[in-house]
Formats: sequence, structure tokens, C-alpha cells
Amino acid sequence: MEALSGLIVLFAQPQLLLLVGLGTFAGIYIGAIPGLSVTMAVSILISFTFSWDVLPAIALMIGIYMGGVYGGSRTAILLNIPGAPSAIATALDGYPMAKRGEAGVAIGVTTVMSFIGGFVGIAVLALAAPLVSDFALSFQPRDYMLLAILGILLVGSLSQGSLTKGIFAGALGIAIGSVGRDPLTFAERFTFDFQILEGGISFIAVMIGMFGVSEALIQMHHVDKRAMRQKIDRVVPSLATVRKHLPLSLQTSTIGVIVGALPGTGGDIAALMAYDHAKRVTRNPEPPFGEGAMEGLVAPETANNAAVGGAFIPMMTLGIPGDAVTAIMIGALFIHGLNPGPMLMIDKPDMFWFIVGCLVAANVFMLIFGLTGIRLFARIVEMPRGVLIPLILLLSIVGAYAVNNSIADVYWMLGFGVLGYFMRHYGYPLGPVILGVILSRLLDDNWRRAIISERGDLGLFFAGILSSPLSLALFASVILIFVSQTPLWTRAKARLFPNAQRNP
Amino acid sequence: MERIDPEHHDGTSDATPGGEPDRRRPGELGFAAFLLLTSLFLLVSAWGIENPFGPNGLSSPRALPVATTATMAVAATIILARTARLPRDASETFARDILPARALLFVGLLAGYALLLRPVGFLPTSAIFLAVAIRYLERRSWGWTLAVSLGALLAIWLVFRIVFTVLMPAGIVPEAEIIQFFRALAKGAVG
Repeated sequence: MEALSGLIVLFAQPQLLLLVGLGTFAGIYIGAIPGLSVTMAVSILISFTFSWDVLPAIALMIGIYMGGVYGGSRTAILLNIPGAPSAIATALDGYPMAKRGEAGVAIGVTTVMSFIGGFVGIAVLALAAPLVSDFALSFQPRDYMLLAILGILLVGSLSQGSLTKGIFAGALGIAIGSVGRDPLTFAERFTFDFQILEGGISFIAVMIGMFGVSEALIQMHHVDKRAMRQKIDRVVPSLATVRKHLPLSLQTSTIGVIVGALPGTGGDIAALMAYDHAKRVTRNPEPPFGEGAMEGLVAPETANNAAVGGAFIPMMTLGIPGDAVTAIMIGALFIHGLNPGPMLMIDKPDMFWFIVGCLVAANVFMLIFGLTGIRLFARIVEMPRGVLIPLILLLSIVGAYAVNNSIADVYWMLGFGVLGYFMRHYGYPLGPVILGVILSRLLDDNWRRAIISERGDLGLFFAGILSSPLSLALFASVILIFVSQTPLWTRAKARLFPNAQRNP
Repeated sequence: MERIDPEHHDGTSDATPGGEPDRRRPGELGFAAFLLLTSLFLLVSAWGIENPFGPNGLSSPRALPVATTATMAVAATIILARTARLPRDASETFARDILPARALLFVGLLAGYALLLRPVGFLPTSAIFLAVAIRYLERRSWGWTLAVSLGALLAIWLVFRIVFTVLMPAGIVPEAEIIQFFRALAKGAVG
């Protein structure tokens, strides 16, 4: 019943539907333009939709999220420049197809596959989230704490980077999030007696700095690169092509939903893992991977859009973000006075169904815009970076300033922008920082609740973990991540699976 | 997983972060040392957090900050030791590949923008910022530069003021009066 009322809110109000459509349209552009990412757009947008009601703000952000994850494929195929992080794997086979003169087919397949992946993700969200939220009511504070730690660790362990750098980034984020007066005891933390630090550091300034300013500064290295134009022919793929790749697309959608639903990891990692999976299960692709295999398009594009729905599962049910974009959306909901978690699902189920409705609408809009507006999109992407970068920087400043009308926030943004710039150059992931900032409060609260309920006894705390299957599983996962990074694991694997090493 | 190197080791996303796995980029060691020093400084600061209502035990406001900054310090030490062991990438230089003059100049431009925003106002500051930045990056004629930057600024201002109702410092430009004037004009035209 609540499902219906939430969905009706969306479809009964044309202006909300219009905002989803507008967001999707803008999202495809944002995704397609190299240097503009969804994370950046959504973090800047929070401050602009600050004065809006929560429903239109969410509608717009979801449209941008869905459209942006898909839009990145456009430039990956046409220009060999992934427009968004989630389209990195798409370029590997998409660009060779375009060079062969099959750009239209590549775009068409990508669009339909993104649509299928998107739907799988939404369906799993709609079915699983209510169950997970019922289950989440039995979560102990220590489980929340362990989940948050797990989310921060997962990015570093599933990506191609170093886990140690991921751990550093996550811990840095938690420290940034704990600046200011402690909400329980009013003790000052990391304020260094500056009054300006007592209220904490604005997480919006951190986000815009890390994702907006640092990205724009990085793009300085690529200002002089000019794009090559490709010819686009037939776009709508044949039914036979879609049917042929349906089994693979369902497998990779599943990978996408799971990776998306894991706290912290999103479409970019899902796409790479799905591409890896497709390479393993596809026998003798014609042409081979890396030279324009259709499977190499299907896998990442279904997975990254399926990850969108997946990422909302932990966000809505536990208040733990599924990826960087949902981390920012949690921030947006905070600003509007909503606190995502199991209680939100119980108190305001219509909010959940409204989000599901927005996702469905955005997915349909994406299919329509993707198959119709191709020539238009190709033109906008050619906007020179020398104009784009100053505009991004201007929007970043306005975004950082507008929330609190504070120049100090602009300086914070600049500082974190420079920090993020160096972190990118030296291989430190930025996602864990944002996750840490958002989860800092949750970690602190739940740790203290957990340890107080055990009367401050660490022994009893660990006994508690061992006595509950859920806590034990979460704790084991955290330990496993650490072990998997040590030489111990490589040696154990070699002994357990001697054949796997020889025939990869 | 197959390693996909993003362009110029810049780290396009968390899935494929930048840096080089088996080589040390210029300045990487210094950055790692800086992070370690920052972590240690924060650790000392975290240790100084006092619980006003009781002992500084596991549930005190000090617990989480000490745990995180200690984690940062340990991680930074490992990173520093690993980085120091890697061979230096001789093909790159700090001034060209890590922090070119261009990036430095833009950090300066942004700081200047933040300084001027309150006293001078949003519109003039942004106009100067966009014109200088676009001219510097695109190196086209002043006519083209001014047309593009002023056009973009007008579009941004209209969207912010009207769609998002974001208020930026007016500074020396009588923004409210101008809007009032156009409102009156529109009303007059209708009536």
C-alpha cells in the first residue's frame, strides 16, 4: 500500500517527473563530458538544492546519477576518453568498435544494456530493501560499527590500488568528520582553540574540494588534447543482438548489484569486475577482447547501471552509503532533516518508494534520450576543456560558499582540493575519505554505545561479537580483508589451488 | 584483475587510482612524509582530548580520534617505508608531471577569488576570474574570451538566482536594485 502511495506521489506530480527527466538529460551530458563526474555534479548540487523541498531535490539528483553513470560510455566509445569513472572498461572495446565504423551499434547496445542493468538493480532494490530493513532492526550498535569499517576498507581492497593507502584515506575521513565539539560530552576535538573549527568542517566543502576542484586541477594536464570525431550510423540494436547477450547481461547485472550493494564500492569497481568476468566466461569472442568484442561493452555497462540500484540498498536500510554518490545523497538527506536507516524505512516508507519510482523513471528516460538524442550529445561533448575547467571551478566555489554563506568553507574546499589533487597523483583513493567523513558520527556513536553497554570491558565486547552470528560474519570479513593483503594469503592460495596459479 | 592504467597515472577513479605501482613518482616520498607528520601531529592532539565528565576510557570522546589517528600514523609509516624502497621514475619531473605552473596558477586564482568575493561581489569577481582563466587556457582573442565568459556568467547567474535562489555577495554591484528595475519594467509592460 505504501509502495503505491510513494509511487503515486511521483507520477501524480508532473513537475517531479519533469525534474527526473531533466536530471537524466543533464546527467547524460555530465557523464559524457570528460572532467565532469556524477560525484562532482551531485556534491555541487546539494548546496544549490538546499532551499528546495526534499522530494524535488532527490528527484533531480537521482536523474543525474542514473544518466551520468550511463553517459560516460558515450565518450568512451566515440573518443576513447571515459567520460565517467564507471566507463573506463567500456572504452577498452567500445573505441575499437567505433574505429571499425560501428559506433552507432556500440552506442545502441550500450544504451539497451544499461537499461537492462538499471532495471535489474532497481528490482533487487525494491525486493531486497524492505527485507534488509526488517533484518536491520536486530542490528546491534557493534554491527553498525563493523559495517562502517567494512565499507571503508572495501574500496581499497577491491580496487586496483593499495589497501594501505585506502585505509589511510578512510581514517583521514573519519578524523575530518570528528572535528568540532563532541555531540555527547561537548569536548573539543581537533579544534586547536579556533572558534571557527568548533562547528566542525563542512562536509560539502570537503566533497566539492575532493571531487570538483581536484578533478578540475587534474584536467589541467589534458587541456591541449583534442577529440577525434567518429561517424555514427544505425543506433537501435537488433533484437537478435540483445537476445544473444541476454544471459551474459543478467550475470553481469548480478555482479553489478552485489558490488553496488556492498558498502562503499560502486559502479566503477562493478564495471571492472564485470569486464573481468566476461573475459573469463566468454569462449572465443569474435573479435577478441580489446579489439571490439561486444561482450566487452555488455558487461561493464550492465554492471555499472545495476550498481545504482544496489548502492541504494545499504543507504536506505542501514544509513551506510553504497558508493560515493549515495554518500553524498545521505548528506543531502541529513540537510533536509531526514536520517537514512531502518527507522526511515519504517516511519517514511513512501520516501523509499518515491526513490524507487524516481529510479524507474530515470531508467526509462535514459533509454529514450540515449536512443534518440545521439547527434546532439556528440556535439556538446566537444566543448573545449579550457572553457569547461574555469566553469567547474566557479561552480565549485559558489557551491561551497552557498550552504553556509561562509568564505572559510571556500578555503576548506580549496585546501581539500589541493590535498585531493596530490592524493590522486600518488594513488590514494578519494572515495574512502568521503565515506569516512559521512560515517564518522555513526562510527563514534555506535562504538560508544557498544562499549558502554559492555560496561567498558573490551573482553565482553569481543565475547559479544563471538556470540552473534552476524557480528561474527562482519568481524571475520574485516579480518579477511587484512589477511588477503599479506604475503600469508598469497602463499596459502598457492598451496590450496596449485592449478589455478599455472592456468590462469 | 587486469591493471588498467588511467591516463598519466592521475587516478580517474577509485577503481583505478593514480600513481605507479612499481615506481616512485616525483614528490611522492615527500608527500608520504608529510602525511606521516600530519598523522603524528593529529595523534598527539587526539591524545589531548579530555573528557569533561569522567575518565578518558574506551567510551570517552578521545577514543575514536585516538584510534583513527593511530591508524593513520601506522598506515602512513608503512606507505612511507614502501615508497622509499621503490625506484624513482626518472622520466617524470615534479614541475612538469605533478604540479605544473598552470595548476599552481589556478590555485592562486582561486585563493584570489575567495579574497575578493566579499568586498567586490560575485559578478565582477567571477567575470574577472572566468576571463583570465579562459584566456590563459584557450589563448584566443580577447573578444572571443569576453563573449564566452560573460555569456556563461550571465547564464550561471540567471540559473542560480532564479532556479536555485542562491544568494551570493552583491559587493559593488547593486544586484537587488537591478532585479527590482527589471521586475518593475516587466510589470509596466504587462500592465
